[in-house]
Amino acid sequence: MKARTVIRVILIIIIFILLFVLLNMLLQPKYAETLVEGSMISQYYEEPKDHEVIFIGDCEVYANFSPMVMYEEQGIKAYVRGSSQQLIWQSYQILKETLKYEKPKVVVFNVNSMRYDKSSEKVSEAYNRLTIDKMKWSREKVDIILDSMTEDETFLSYVFPILRYHSRYDKLTSEDFKYLFKRKNNTYNGFLINKNIKGVTALPTKRRLAETKFSDECYSYLDKITKLCKDNDIKLVLIKAPSLYPYWYDEYDEQIRNYAQQNGIDYYNLKNNVEEIGIDYSQDTYDGGLHLNLTGATKLSKFFANLLKQNYDLTDFRGDSVYEEKLKDYKQAIQ
Amino acid sequence: MIFNILLLVISILIYLSFGISNFIFILFSILTTFIAAKFLEKKSKKIILAVTIIVNALILIFLKLYGANVFPSLEGLNIIAPIGVSYYTLQVISYLVDVYKGKYKAENNFLYYCLYIMYIPHLFIGPISRYDDMKEQFLKPKTFSISRIYNGGLRIVWGLIKKFVISGRVAIVISTISQDMQNYNGAYALLAMILYSIQLYTDFSGGIDIVMGVSKILGIELKENFDSPYYSQTIKEFWRRWHISLSSWLRDYIYIPLGGSRCSKLRKYFNTMVTFIVSGFWHGANYLLWGVSHGIFVLLGDKIKTKFKWLNRFITFIIVSFLWAFFIWPTTGDSLRMMSSVFTTFNISDLCTNFLNLGLSLADWIVLAVFTIGLFIFDGNTSKIIQKVKTLSPEIKTVIICVGILLVFVFGIYGIGFNVNEFIYSKF
Repeated sequence: MKARTVIRVILIIIIFILLFVLLNMLLQPKYAETLVEGSMISQYYEEPKDHEVIFIGDCEVYANFSPMVMYEEQGIKAYVRGSSQQLIWQSYQILKETLKYEKPKVVVFNVNSMRYDKSSEKVSEAYNRLTIDKMKWSREKVDIILDSMTEDETFLSYVFPILRYHSRYDKLTSEDFKYLFKRKNNTYNGFLINKNIKGVTALPTKRRLAETKFSDECYSYLDKITKLCKDNDIKLVLIKAPSLYPYWYDEYDEQIRNYAQQNGIDYYNLKNNVEEIGIDYSQDTYDGGLHLNLTGATKLSKFFANLLKQNYDLTDFRGDSVYEEKLKDYKQAIQ
Repeated sequence: MIFNILLLVISILIYLSFGISNFIFILFSILTTFIAAKFLEKKSKKIILAVTIIVNALILIFLKLYGANVFPSLEGLNIIAPIGVSYYTLQVISYLVDVYKGKYKAENNFLYYCLYIMYIPHLFIGPISRYDDMKEQFLKPKTFSISRIYNGGLRIVWGLIKKFVISGRVAIVISTISQDMQNYNGAYALLAMILYSIQLYTDFSGGIDIVMGVSKILGIELKENFDSPYYSQTIKEFWRRWHISLSSWLRDYIYIPLGGSRCSKLRKYFNTMVTFIVSGFWHGANYLLWGVSHGIFVLLGDKIKTKFKWLNRFITFIIVSFLWAFFIWPTTGDSLRMMSSVFTTFNISDLCTNFLNLGLSLADWIVLAVFTIGLFIFDGNTSKIIQKVKTLSPEIKTVIICVGILLVFVFGIYGIGFNVNEFIYSKF
């Protein structure tokens, strides 16, 4: 082959690779206007990394804790690195990733995920994708994929999203083109606003569980989170958000209480403070008691901001120009 | 020589990755036939030939019957047929017979014989090669050739499009229809039969294209296994164009030894029917009636041929499609019921309204139609297109390969819920 032909062939291959990359981007869900839960993890990357409090955990953190309310109340700079059905091994990797960017004073972990180990039916590809798809490539992303993949999934499909999402070719919408090269911020420091009201009318029957002991697997990840915080001189705080359902059994509570005691960690089951917080489950939830709505989250965040301020050595950042601007945006959004 | 050793080592390693029991079966066939051929060369004894063929054929026959649940008492043994057994058994038999007949000498070099049987590209779905052809290819000096790589690459991409874009799509509809005979019969059954013709052809010939392409890149030319079979005007012609390596094997090692066509009419009919019964059995013990039906249509031959080429092609396609019914539904009884439902249940309007509930979206149907039309245009002009492609510049060939790969990535049916590694013909 002549040199000129070789150059042309190389150019064609480069164009092909670019097209391949573009197709990967086009076919992957954008999580911008629909399924916005998938965009939470990635929004953190664009944030200034000077948070003193980081939340990790499932929907019970991103729906219930508003960092902007905490800032307004006590000047706390917090960020919620939560995601839908975030499992404990995912929380661990997300915390590890966060610590590469910043060293917060306090890490708040919602322990709801302790009940789900890798054999749980709650481990699903759909939820995995919401947490992992938009993560930046790093050692933690590789580990989170390997830890989370269901039997049907392949690692390659995370590297090349087209392998998973190619069948979306006939489901592409304007959202896919609009957000091909840009992102939409749907949260306020990781808090997802939901103004709807769907009060608690009836709860499913509370069944006795055959097994209430947390698995060794979950404990091993909790140990890892604990060690990671200790090694980095970070105060770990365990919480259970005040959701009415799925039931947080007394046996669960006791195990976490014991674990916290043995490891010198603070644990707050916020369901015990519902009256103090002022949560009215007929008004303050958007889905019948699973998650709090804006009014409920505001009450809880104020309460928790005060709790953090009283017990941990946090700075009052009120007056910070960036955060004042953020607060203005937040207030506009909750109107 | 080093290249051939490397090829053999890679083939063995890949084959071993499917389990050691696979390897024991194939090694048994290789050893028995290699040794028997050496004896045959010295003393042309029919008994050695017969015993070796019978032993190897019996293994295949047993596995076919076992697969069809003929031995319920042995079910607990969980015997899994070794991969490629249907293909390599025919290859070892052809080798033995050819040595016995003096077509060529028995191989002295065990490596070449092993490579002939275990050459991994053709082990799973064929084509069923002959020893003299393969030996010639192995001995051919291998030089680096960019045009060979391009031509092999083009063939692979074409195979991938057939397998993933067309066959994968049709498989979804077939699966929906075949799993609910209560609701999906009559017009649905007819649609399934026609679509299955496309599925089986694109799956099998797509796989063969990949085998051919890989072999071409490796510098090994295999014999073509298809010649636009759905352009056949009679069933006899269809068998000259479909799975050519099996048809020619049956001709050379069953039909002709039985007396072929140079005998009485009655004997010729008998020979034809036996050949097609063997063909049916080779596909599986459940497909005997399919083999017999094809035998009958071959014997009818020109009697159902008209003056019009396109009408003949259409009739042949419909007959072939109808007979594929035996491969769609789980039992022969189910298949016959579905075939008869085409004539008794006129639910065409139901099919039209339910068209988009068969597992494919409108966009999927459009993609399927476009690529299938493309396939038939290609099949109708194969030699012209191949000649044209050969003259294209490397740049254009690169563009075609790249576009083809992108088409497979976007329009291919693969991922969760789809087992893309399995080719229909690797199960036979």
